[in-house]
Amino acid sequence: MRKGMFYGLLFTAPAILGFAIFTLGPMIASLVLSLTNYNVFKEQTAFTGLDNYMRLFSGEDELFYKSLGITFYFVVLRVPAVILLSFGIALLLNLNVKGRAIFRTIIYLPSIVPAVASAMIWMWLLNPDLGLINSLLSRLHLPTSNWLYGEGSVIPSVVLTTLWGIGSTVIIFLAGLSGIPRQYYEAIEVDGGGWFRKLSHVTVPMVTPTIFFNTIMTIIGSFQVFNEAYILTQGGPNNQSLFYVFYLWRTGFRDAEMGYASALAWILFVIILFFTFIVFRTSKSWVYYEGGDRA
Amino acid sequence: MSQPRKSVFITLALVLMLAAVLSACSNSGTPSPDTSASSGNSGSKENIKLRMTVWGSPEEVAPYKKAIQNFEAKHPNVKVELQHIAADYDTKLTTMVAGNDVPDIAMMESGTIAFPMAEQGKFYNLQEFLDTDTEISPDTLVPNITYSLEPGNVIGIGPGPESFALFYNEDIFKDAGIEPPPSNVADAWTWDEFVEVAKKLTMDTNGKTAADPDFDPKKIKQYGANISTWWGVYSNFIYSNGGDFISADGKTFGLNQPEAVEALQKISDLMNVHHVSPSPVQSKNIPATNVALQTKKVAMTVDGQWASAGLAQSKFNFNVGVMPVMKEPVTTVVCGMFSIFKSSKHPQEAWELLKALLDPEASIDMLTAGTWMPSPKDWYTDPALLAKWTENLDARPSGYKEAVVDVILTKGHQTPTGYVKNFNNIMDLVNPALDKVWLGQQTAQEAMDSIAAKVQAQIKGRRDIKE
Repeated sequence: MRKGMFYGLLFTAPAILGFAIFTLGPMIASLVLSLTNYNVFKEQTAFTGLDNYMRLFSGEDELFYKSLGITFYFVVLRVPAVILLSFGIALLLNLNVKGRAIFRTIIYLPSIVPAVASAMIWMWLLNPDLGLINSLLSRLHLPTSNWLYGEGSVIPSVVLTTLWGIGSTVIIFLAGLSGIPRQYYEAIEVDGGGWFRKLSHVTVPMVTPTIFFNTIMTIIGSFQVFNEAYILTQGGPNNQSLFYVFYLWRTGFRDAEMGYASALAWILFVIILFFTFIVFRTSKSWVYYEGGDRA
Repeated sequence: MSQPRKSVFITLALVLMLAAVLSACSNSGTPSPDTSASSGNSGSKENIKLRMTVWGSPEEVAPYKKAIQNFEAKHPNVKVELQHIAADYDTKLTTMVAGNDVPDIAMMESGTIAFPMAEQGKFYNLQEFLDTDTEISPDTLVPNITYSLEPGNVIGIGPGPESFALFYNEDIFKDAGIEPPPSNVADAWTWDEFVEVAKKLTMDTNGKTAADPDFDPKKIKQYGANISTWWGVYSNFIYSNGGDFISADGKTFGLNQPEAVEALQKISDLMNVHHVSPSPVQSKNIPATNVALQTKKVAMTVDGQWASAGLAQSKFNFNVGVMPVMKEPVTTVVCGMFSIFKSSKHPQEAWELLKALLDPEASIDMLTAGTWMPSPKDWYTDPALLAKWTENLDARPSGYKEAVVDVILTKGHQTPTGYVKNFNNIMDLVNPALDKVWLGQQTAQEAMDSIAAKVQAQIKGRRDIKE
C-alpha cells in the first residue's frame, strides 16, 4: 500500500468508522426491522415481510397519509420561502454598505439560538391574545390570526417560525455571491446595463450552483421537520400539524412499534431520495458551473 | 477508475472488521452467568445492587434518596443506584428496554408505556407480594393507587395519591364580598352555583364582570375560574355527572353518551358561552396555578392537590374547597407507580425497597411541602399521623382536611389510564376532536359522535373486570 494511501485512510478512518457505526449500521438495522413486527417491549419478533408497508399504503393508517400531506404542504410553502428570502437577504448583505459585518452577524445570530429557546419565544410572539404580533396587527387595524392555534394557520405559522433560522443559508449564498468576478459586472456597466441586468445576467446564473445546493438541503431539512411539532404544537390543533417525523417518533417511542416506525422512516427516505433525484435531474438545464459545461 | 473501486473495497473490509469486533464484544458480554445471582432471595448476605429510575424535580427526588438511605441502613448488603431521568423519561426507558439494560425498579406512568410494557410481561405481579406481606396489603393503602393489568395482576403501586380540588384566592372573594367555595362535600356547589360565582369574579379591563351585559370577553383581566382541558381535570366532571370514558362492560365508547357529553359541553360553555374560564388558546397566557391565583389572573382553579406546594411558597391567602358537583361528588385519583421489572434478579429486595419508598416518614418533606399525599390509609385516619402532614403548615390551608383528605378516601375514582385498555390510542382520536369543542367550533355531542365509529374500533375493554 502506498504511503499516501495509508495516511489518507488513517485520517479518514474516524469519519468512515463513525459513519459505519452510527449511520450505516443503524440504517441497515432499521431496514431489516421494517420487515418485522418488532415491538420494543415484546420478546418475540417475527419476520412479517412487507406487512408494515402494506398496512401503510392500504389506507388503514389514516394518520400516515394525513401526516404525509401536512409535511408536503409544509415543504411546498417553506422551500421557496427560504430560498427567495435568504437569497434576497444575501443580496442586500453583499452590498458595500457601512456596518456590513454587523448586519451579517445579526442575520446569522438566530441560527445559533437553541431550537427550543427560539420555539418558546415564537410561542409567545404568536400568542393570539397577548402576543406581540397580534397586538401590532390590531393596533394597525389589520386582521389578526390564531397562528399556531388555528387549524388553517398552523402550518404557515410554523413556516414563519422556521424562517427565523435561515442565517446559515444566507451565509452560503453570500459565499456564492462573493465568488463572482467583478469584471462581469464591469462589462455590463460598459454596455450600459443597470442593476436588473446585472442580477439576471450575471448574479443569478453565477450562483445557480449555490441555489442548487441550498434547495436540496432545504428540501431535505423541511421533510424532516420535527422540533416544531414536538415543542410548538404537539401535532395540534386537531392533528393539523402532525408532521411525518413527529408521527414516526410517536409510533416508535411512545407506542414502541419500532418495526412499523422503521417502515415509516424508510418511506420518508425514499421520498427524500426521489425529490433530491428530481432536483438533480432538472439541474442539468439550469445550473451553470464556471469553466465547464452545464452540469 | 481503479482508485474508487479500491476504496470501496477498503470501506467494506473496514465495515466487516467492525462487525466482527462488535459481535465479539457482545459475545463476551452475554455469557458468564452471574453465579452470585442464583442464590436469589435466600436471605444470604451477598452484596446486591439494585438499580432504580425515577423522574421528577430535584425536590421530588430528595425523598427517594432519603427512602433509599433508610432502606440501605436496614439492608446493609444492598446498594441502590438511583438514576434520575429528568427529561424524556419514557423515550429513555424504551431505549433501555430495547437495549436489555433495564432497572430493577422504576417509576412508571399509567398513561404512557407502563401498560404496554405490562402487557408484554415486563413486570412482576405485585399481588403475589401483597398476599404474603405482613406489613402492607391493599386494605392498608388509600383506594385507587394500585394499577392492575387485570384483576389480580398488580403491576404498580403509587407512592403518592393525588386528587383534585378547587383552589382559590381568598382575597378575591373577600374583596368581591362573595362566599368562598365550601370545603365540606355535603355543602359543595352545584355546577350552576359555580358558574354564577365564576361570572361575578370574571372581570374585563374596564372593570365589568361577566355577569354584566357590557362585559367585553376579548379583554379579560381576571378569570373567575380555570378548568383546564386536560383529561385529568375534565374526567372529574365526567365521573361526577355519571359518565365514563368507556361503558361499564368495557364494550362501548362512553364519551358520546349523554352524561359525558353534558359534562364536556358544560366545560366548553365555561370558555365559549360564559367566558369565565380561559380557552386552550387563552390558557397559553395563564401561568402555573400558584402564580395565576396570586396575581389574580384567576380567582379559582381546579387542579391536582400537588398545586399546594407552589401555593404555599407564594405566600398569599389561598385556600381550597371541594370541586363543584354535577350529580355526585367524585375526585379522580392520579399518581405515578413503582413497578418491579421481571428481569430483576432480586425481586424480594426490590419489593422491600418499594415498601421503603411508600413509607411516608421518608417523604415527610414532600408531604409537608404539599406536593404529595401519603399512601397508607392510617395516615388519613389516625389523628396523630394526620396531624403530621396537615396541621400548621402553609401548604395545608383550613379547607384542606375536608376538601382533600376526606374526599380522596370516600369519593375517589380510579384514573381512566388505569382501567381503559388502549387509552392512548383512544385519546389520539378524542383529543383532536375535543380541540374543536374547546374552541367552540362543535358541540360536544357532534364532536364525540363524529369519532365514535373510529374509537369503537380501538375499544379493547376494561382492566378492572374479568373477561
